[in-house]
Amino acid sequence: MSTEPEAPGGAASRPPLQRADEPAVPAKAPLLEVEDLEVHFPIRRGILVERTVGHVRAVDGVSLSVQPGGTFGLVGESGCGKTTFGRAVLRLEEPTAGRVRLGGDEVTALRGERLRRFRSKMQMVFQDPLGSLNPRHNVDMLLAEPLKVHGVGSREERRKLAVETLDAVGLPKSVLERYPHEFSGGQRQRLGIARALMLRPDLIVCDEPVSALDVSIQAQVMNLLDELQDEFGLTYLVIAHDLAVVRHLSDRVGVMYLGKLVEEADSSQIYERPRHPYTKALLSAVPQPDPEVEATRERIILKGDLPSPANPPSGCRFRTRCPWAEDICAEVEPEWREAATGHRVACHFDL
Amino acid sequence: MTIAKIEKLDRLIEATATARDARGGSLWRQSIRRMRRSPMAICGAVLVGLFVVVAVLGPFIAPHDPTAQTWGREVFLNRNVFPGPRAENWFGLDHLGRDMFSRMIVGARQTLMVGVVATLIGFVAGAVVGGVAAAAGTFGGRWGERVEAVIMRAVDVALAIPMLLLALSVAALLGPSLRTVMIAVGVAQIPIFARLLRGSMLAQAHSDYVLAAISLGVPKGRIVVSHILPNSLGPVIVQATLVLATAIIEAAALSYLGLGNPDPGSPEWGTMLADAQRFLSGAPQLAIYPAVGIIVTALGFTLLGEAMRESLDPRLRRQE
Amino acid sequence: MALLEVEDLRVAFGPATAVDGVSFAVDEGKVVGLVGESGCGKSVTSLAIMGLLPKRSRGNGRLAPDTEARAVTVEPAGGAEAAESSPAVPSAPAPRTAIGGEGRRRGRGADVDGRAVFDGVDLLSLPSAAMRRRRGRDLAMVFQDPLSSLNPVVPIGRQITEVLERHRGLKGDKAVKEASHLLDRVGIPDPARRLREYPHQLSGGMRQRVLIAIAVACAPRLLIADEPTTALDVTIQAQILELLRDLVESEGTALLMITHDLGVVAGLCDEVNVLYSGRVVESAPVRELFARPTHPYTIGLLGSIPRLDLPMDEPLRPIRGSIQDVIRWRDGCAFAPRCDRVTEKCVAGEPALVGAVHAHRCVMAEEVA
Repeated sequence: MSTEPEAPGGAASRPPLQRADEPAVPAKAPLLEVEDLEVHFPIRRGILVERTVGHVRAVDGVSLSVQPGGTFGLVGESGCGKTTFGRAVLRLEEPTAGRVRLGGDEVTALRGERLRRFRSKMQMVFQDPLGSLNPRHNVDMLLAEPLKVHGVGSREERRKLAVETLDAVGLPKSVLERYPHEFSGGQRQRLGIARALMLRPDLIVCDEPVSALDVSIQAQVMNLLDELQDEFGLTYLVIAHDLAVVRHLSDRVGVMYLGKLVEEADSSQIYERPRHPYTKALLSAVPQPDPEVEATRERIILKGDLPSPANPPSGCRFRTRCPWAEDICAEVEPEWREAATGHRVACHFDL
Repeated sequence: MTIAKIEKLDRLIEATATARDARGGSLWRQSIRRMRRSPMAICGAVLVGLFVVVAVLGPFIAPHDPTAQTWGREVFLNRNVFPGPRAENWFGLDHLGRDMFSRMIVGARQTLMVGVVATLIGFVAGAVVGGVAAAAGTFGGRWGERVEAVIMRAVDVALAIPMLLLALSVAALLGPSLRTVMIAVGVAQIPIFARLLRGSMLAQAHSDYVLAAISLGVPKGRIVVSHILPNSLGPVIVQATLVLATAIIEAAALSYLGLGNPDPGSPEWGTMLADAQRFLSGAPQLAIYPAVGIIVTALGFTLLGEAMRESLDPRLRRQE
Repeated sequence: MALLEVEDLRVAFGPATAVDGVSFAVDEGKVVGLVGESGCGKSVTSLAIMGLLPKRSRGNGRLAPDTEARAVTVEPAGGAEAAESSPAVPSAPAPRTAIGGEGRRRGRGADVDGRAVFDGVDLLSLPSAAMRRRRGRDLAMVFQDPLSSLNPVVPIGRQITEVLERHRGLKGDKAVKEASHLLDRVGIPDPARRLREYPHQLSGGMRQRVLIAIAVACAPRLLIADEPTTALDVTIQAQILELLRDLVESEGTALLMITHDLGVVAGLCDEVNVLYSGRVVESAPVRELFARPTHPYTIGLLGSIPRLDLPMDEPLRPIRGSIQDVIRWRDGCAFAPRCDRVTEKCVAGEPALVGAVHAHRCVMAEEVA
């Protein structure tokens, strides 16, 4: 395990570009490996003496791996734990159990200064482009800060790198003196992406990268993410609620429900042949911009709302809303099985 | 694509872009720009500016010596004879035959000093207490949370004591003097500033850009100093302006209660008000001048503070 | 004769024009969509029809403090874009008055011009008392953020019976019974118990159902829904869309659907009006619009959406620039700065809306046709 990450910024010190050219062959060592990750939040009650009365199982045992240069899309509705998962991977949230490995280093074992230094290898793009940029820092300060705190380059080198990165995300260098509130939503998201790129990380976790943007801008940002992946040899973990967005960006997709993965497969497979009832329902719920398709589309309308993650249903967590649920679903938790090559699902039935 | 068309489009886009630039600048600069258009801010600034000018220039522009009992023989206390406003003494004479107008002008300096120093004491000490509590609670782990809890409970206790009572106890400890008034009033403001800054910092600590800073590997200390603090100061600075107004009134109250500056040589509005109470029935004007002075000054600072609050309010920030 | 006929609607906030001559009609029992991105004027249009825009007050020139202001179209849109079009942000701020996010300015009310003829009466010229009587009875509205549209300290039962009392004169048990029937109608299980609950005890989807129940309480002839599913999850969105579809079919209510989501439009609407920078740029029956989109903006929007029903490697063709890159319509086509097919003609004059059934506002398309 390498303890000190090499100084980022020096593009020559690491060969990310080569990585991008290599196809994501499953046999290769994955860049990101997550094993049984759990994040439980205690529910505390009491005024004078706080006691824990239960746990919200935001993430309850999720395992996945992402190939270098690949994109893993994590889909689910609000409250399914996908955001918490992303943050736990980056150690922005403390995992209760489980392991996260990035390029051979055990992220979950890092503490203090070592963790701080390690953060240069993994970055995040936020949903709210305005909220994630300090309103009192101009673009120059925003982009220089990550380099400064990791001791990269001189003032001039940092500025040069900032201009290069701005160019990569499609912004002119004249924006350096401007403040976040002076930009449009799409431009702000470009800034957020540029900041994440400054340290030339291996992994970028994109948490709902386009959902706060206008439709015409969403497409720009998605195309940008695509281009940058090739240019900088990035590996993405894309977290989103929009199935179409995830499909467009990812080569592998996991569907989360109430803190657990219910299905995982290559993007083409999961959309062609969804095997879990929840995935089927999700897919059928997305309205398509085509009246002909809409008129004939079969819709699976799920009953009710998401159950509380503090008190998930017994057996299969989806059974309370599942149109195909039977008695066994309430009694036995379905195992995480491989239904086809590279296609895992947690359901008792073969739908 | 013809050149003329492209040029026209470029020009139009440039026009919108420059219009945007004109509104740019940092948030502070924007707030100042917004304040310049607010009548409230202008009123407040004029009043405060006038007050500051008088306070600074006081001894030089006062027509008479404020301590000289020049017209002592014209005042008859037992018959309530206090010569009123006249050409020579615009505000009339006080009970010792001194020129009220000169005393008011010279007294402005002490009044301002009391307000500013007291507020500074409260601001600095309060900011340190609140800042330490917030920083400890946010990044100090379990121990930090405990430190924060202890500090904030102490602040709560201090807040529960009526402000005047707190100031009085401090004043009683230190003995009557101008310094006492400043310290007493300042100390009474500490818990308010502490609470305010802590609340403001905690709100910022949960924002996305702080999370972004953590994920970038920015050290904790730097996050507090360069991210959280600058974004939390707005409401505290506004509060400082408002506190300046109350500090002046409170200092007057302490002086009125006899804890102010016992030195008759340096006039101060609060002390003047206290002195005037003995002659309230016969010569109310003696109380009215310093009272109006205090009220108008306090009003000026309050208006300025409110205007600042409005211009810094993040909910209104997007309107321009 | 259409149920609602909007003619040449103009809304200006001081010097900024938010809606610039919008005309469309809603027929009885039909679903008409107003589609566009943040700042296109779609929400302002609906608020103007409902008479919910702050009137321009000459007295103190000030609005209630909660009518929070945002940037106007031609200016940097602050957070308006983020708040307006954030499908996954249930916390998207919407002021209590539920005045949308588009083009409002603090300190000034709106100047509303034009006509909105509903059932033979021009709503825009109606005195506010008469408008209040109609609101809720003849036309009702459903907003994006169900939590801030409901009173947090009043049980939902009372919020429904209040409407029933005011507009239908139902009292006591009768009103409660009707309220429970309404909740049942919008698909809320165990309505009797829900009536006693407070808005915060319900989920987002439930709250939106309650709002719809309140809106349809008096069997309005026109329902205006302003991004009713934007704050909801997809599976819940599907439930709500199904409910709206069902209401329109069974009650014959006309629906004016305001949305940014072309998918929602395709599945729900009969007629579509695409708005850009305060004007209708294209309007057509839904199948016609999706089969033969004519205006470059519509084409661009369709090209920007990743789709589940097309091959995976289908590239996205986004519109360049951002919504802030607009010129005034008077100087030519407002979309010209972002348009791929722009020519000199586009900035030479004001493009007109041409065509009867399938209308579009593009000089280039005119030439082709």
